[in-house]
Amino acid sequence: MNILTVSFLLFLLGLLVLYFLVPKRFQWWVLLAFSLGFYALGGLLNLPWILLTALSTWAAARFMQRSAREEKDFLAARKGELSKEERSARKARGKRTRRRAMVLCLVLNVGILCAFKYVHFLLAQANAVAGLFGGEIRDSIHWIVPLGISFYTFQTVGYLCDVYWGKAEAEQNPLRLLLFTSFFPQITQGPISAWNQLSGELFAPHSLDADGFLLGAQRMLWGFFKKMVVANLLAGYVQDVFANYSVYTGLSVFLGALCYSAQIYADFSGYMDIMCGLCQILGIRLTENFERPYFSKSIAEYWRRWHISLGVWFKNYVYYPIAMAKWNQRLGKTAKRRLGKAFGSYLPATVALVVTWLATGLWHGASWGYIAWGGVNGLFIIFSMWMEGPYDRWKKRLKIREEAWLWRAFQVGRTFLLVTFIKVLPEVGSLKDGLGLWKQIFTNHSLPHSLGELLPFVGTYRELGAVLLGIGLMLLVSLLQRKGSVRGLMRRRLPFLVRIGIFVLLFFLILYFGVPASGNLGGFMYAEF
Amino acid sequence: MDKLLEILNDINPDVDYETEDRLIDGKVYDSFSIITLISEISDAFDIELGPEHLIPENFNSAAAMWRMIQGILDEE
Repeated sequence: MNILTVSFLLFLLGLLVLYFLVPKRFQWWVLLAFSLGFYALGGLLNLPWILLTALSTWAAARFMQRSAREEKDFLAARKGELSKEERSARKARGKRTRRRAMVLCLVLNVGILCAFKYVHFLLAQANAVAGLFGGEIRDSIHWIVPLGISFYTFQTVGYLCDVYWGKAEAEQNPLRLLLFTSFFPQITQGPISAWNQLSGELFAPHSLDADGFLLGAQRMLWGFFKKMVVANLLAGYVQDVFANYSVYTGLSVFLGALCYSAQIYADFSGYMDIMCGLCQILGIRLTENFERPYFSKSIAEYWRRWHISLGVWFKNYVYYPIAMAKWNQRLGKTAKRRLGKAFGSYLPATVALVVTWLATGLWHGASWGYIAWGGVNGLFIIFSMWMEGPYDRWKKRLKIREEAWLWRAFQVGRTFLLVTFIKVLPEVGSLKDGLGLWKQIFTNHSLPHSLGELLPFVGTYRELGAVLLGIGLMLLVSLLQRKGSVRGLMRRRLPFLVRIGIFVLLFFLILYFGVPASGNLGGFMYAEF
Repeated sequence: MDKLLEILNDINPDVDYETEDRLIDGKVYDSFSIITLISEISDAFDIELGPEHLIPENFNSAAAMWRMIQGILDEE
């Protein structure tokens, strides 16, 4: 179901009425029914896959918890009877059993994800190899990728690992785990929530609260504005630049790349505002995915502030397990002995970062462009980590103060430009096109002779005015957010009628600019991942 | 405890480990420092640390780390 439609608003109305009318202990049932309904409306054939993932995860988690409890009871009952070696052997046996259950479940669910997401990419690579020997592998697979599979698979993998590590309790009721897996506000674009955080919110009783309703509705409206006015109008510009980069001047293409950065932020954070606002009305606190990312001072910091839940997921379930793996720690120790303490200390983290960033690239899309995108992000982060010592020494020598505003502005500007260049790489088309766009920016120095030549992708200046107003408002909100909630600030500083006026204006801007622009880009950009 | 403080001071000498109790929550230690710390603790105390031990409550202060180390040693 497209959330930018009147049907979705009616769907929400039905949800809210039922959610607050039923006895509180049944509220999560309403959420489950609407989540499955939302999912089924996206295609009934999607349902078996999400059910399989939720049920297999529930069963594996229950099995692991039972095994851990039995082990604990066994050891407690025989305290003092067993030798240290016998206790260790019992623990090792139990851990092996639980690990087998976890691996089996991971192979099943990550296997389904990979099969749907990467089969065409793998066949294309196999075909390229076969072509060298005169052969051909025909790709006649026409699978429809289940809605939100990247997000719900990662969320269930996180839950499974947390139960295995004893960080979360296995849920007894499979339907509650199904709601955690299929909760519709996050199914298509995240956030990827942790069980310990989201379950407390989903299953707690919630009352209708006037403040929560008003603040949630305001945030939803702001999200619709970002998506429908800013992102959708920019989508037209960006599509034009990406299609014609080879004939536009370097400066125009560069402006197009900046438009892409603004578009993807307005699109993705707009969706998050809509869903976080909706959840606020329901009384549910959804994990935040953004923290003013374009004000980051380094690529590493940017990734802690952009799509936060994905970064946390990769850190917890890929980076740390690989960095802490015995083989990797041994590698670090060997390197320490042979190549020095610093090298040995950095090596396990570096190995983990390489895997994490290539996997992050692949998660975003099955193409060499995304693999390169992940690789470039990883390279910057690894390089910064290794160069931290020399950087600090240079800064001391040049007498650069970390807190000086000029230095911070330089860092923010530099990071924003780097992020923009990395972002466009996989989005133009093929990796060759992405590199071609970079080349055009750096090698075509023709100066445009008119505004029309500088901005060949702009349709009307009225639309451009709306885009600039939207970007200006997003910038203002980001600056104000440094001091706390903007809606809270508005409430304290602005009279009621002025506040209402602002949101009415946003509403009419959406109707005037957003509705006609909705044809530029059907859905949300991150739903493609 | 002295051995642990030596490791911590080696990684970041600018922290007062007697009073600091938000090493993780306050982002004093980043993901790279944590990996270095875990490697050093595992070596120094001859214990095996895995992702299951990675919760802020175990690493927010020197005292919490010491309790975790003692717990693992007692279990072994």
